[in-house]
Amino acid sequence: MRLVVAVATLAMLTTADIGQSAGDAKSFVPGRLWDGKTPDFRGIWQVRDTAYLNIEGHAAERGIAASKSIVVDPPDGKIPYKPEALVARQEHYRTRATADPSVRCYQAGVPRATYLATPLQILQSPGNFAIVYQENHAFRVFHPDTRPHFDNTDWWMGDTRYHWEGDTLVADVVAQTDEAWLDQSGNFHSTDVHIVERYQMTGADALEYEARIEDPVVYRRPWTLRTVLYRVKQPGARIVEDECLEDANGVRHHIAPTDPRNLLKSDYTRWKR
Amino acid sequence: MMRRCLPFAVFVTATLCVFAQSALPRLPDGHPDLQGLWMKSAGGFQGLFIGSLDGTNFAAGGRGGRGAGRGPAVPEYPYTPEAAAERADRLRRGYEDPEAHCHLPGVPRALDQPGGLYPVQIIQDEKSVALLHEAMHDVRIIPTDNSAHPRNYWAWDGDSRGRWEGDTLVVDVSNFNGRTWLDMAANFVDENERVVERFSLVDRDTIQYEATITDPTVFVRPVQMRFTLKRVPAEQQILEYSCLEGERSLQHYTAEDGGKKRREQ
Repeated sequence: MRLVVAVATLAMLTTADIGQSAGDAKSFVPGRLWDGKTPDFRGIWQVRDTAYLNIEGHAAERGIAASKSIVVDPPDGKIPYKPEALVARQEHYRTRATADPSVRCYQAGVPRATYLATPLQILQSPGNFAIVYQENHAFRVFHPDTRPHFDNTDWWMGDTRYHWEGDTLVADVVAQTDEAWLDQSGNFHSTDVHIVERYQMTGADALEYEARIEDPVVYRRPWTLRTVLYRVKQPGARIVEDECLEDANGVRHHIAPTDPRNLLKSDYTRWKR
Repeated sequence: MMRRCLPFAVFVTATLCVFAQSALPRLPDGHPDLQGLWMKSAGGFQGLFIGSLDGTNFAAGGRGGRGAGRGPAVPEYPYTPEAAAERADRLRRGYEDPEAHCHLPGVPRALDQPGGLYPVQIIQDEKSVALLHEAMHDVRIIPTDNSAHPRNYWAWDGDSRGRWEGDTLVVDVSNFNGRTWLDMAANFVDENERVVERFSLVDRDTIQYEATITDPTVFVRPVQMRFTLKRVPAEQQILEYSCLEGERSLQHYTAEDGGKKRREQ
């Protein structure tokens, strides 16, 4: 009896494992664009977890729910840093309140932009694919990988080339600055980072995102993170403008367009200040 | 296009004109396909204005701007007396130009960038026309779904709602936050600005752009702007601007203190 339970448990574990693996052939078939061919990923999407705080997982903090690691490989959920890189990461963590480029309203980079606490919108038409990220109005135009990377400089959002593997969009990303972080905890990469992203709809309102991250300068081996974006379905939902304003000390703060502080009213006393 | 064709159409080339119109690329919904990578034609920092010109364009002329001498002159904006005084005051503080601080440019400045420098990528479907600007990595996703402007929303780029009038995309822009300038020369608008833009694909490789700006607390009559966008060859691509992340713009402003100090650093 005990053996049966053990076998059954093992079988369940194995099933669960397969269910989470990237190679799993998902059964969902997305709709098509008007060319009748291209999978239709259009819409506003957002993650529902708080991995933006720390992709390796974190305990709950005031106002922020706990999160499991979204690192799926290695299996321990830890980024396989080289020892000296881990030291740099810990230094980032100590100084994150000011050192995080996000604090200065910089574009988030790849893959960080994907799992922020703010939504993104996929724009698509036959032959065109772009993602607009609400945070700091960053965007990426995905170019077909029939042409080589434009990688003679370092961008915040990298240079992206893509192709379709069935209904999965596979994107190759290089040319990113080493100033970008992977989350609010100071996880990072160098300018040598090479990312392979996979976007796959696993339901009408679920978009699985996977990034395989390779960077021989910083990591002992390539590693992979995986998360799920959900369709934002509120009526009238849209990407709103996100711009930072400087305060009196020159420090920038995100001010939502719905915040009256963003409105500068025209009165002539103000003009004559 | 129609107007230009008509006199000829009566006599000779009716079929040619019809052909030219039907040859516009279109989406399945029948509307002109504005998609592609576009660039404002070379010139100064201002569009070609309809109206009287006073020739004080220090951005495109006189004061060592990049397009010195080649751009069209700045128009004499029809300011109210108070706004004219404000503009003169701001002109002395050119380094306050919000774009020099990497803020979103607003409308129509989003498109009225230095000609030949910053392209815009257009992606379009049956529900929206999206403008992805290289400059300031500015994004405008313009719904064409008869939706209304929101309330209690004040943005640098305002809120854009589009509709098709025949083959012309007409965009109504309001909900501005009152912080934007129209150009480097301190011409400005406030939160009462309203813009009607017209995008007309006149041939496969040309978009005629028109903007009519009204702002009753700044201008005594509407201001009109018009310029063309030309298609950029497909092998080119939009690049990243990342202004804020590597701010270098303020040093180009030669106002007494701001510019010089920064250059000496």
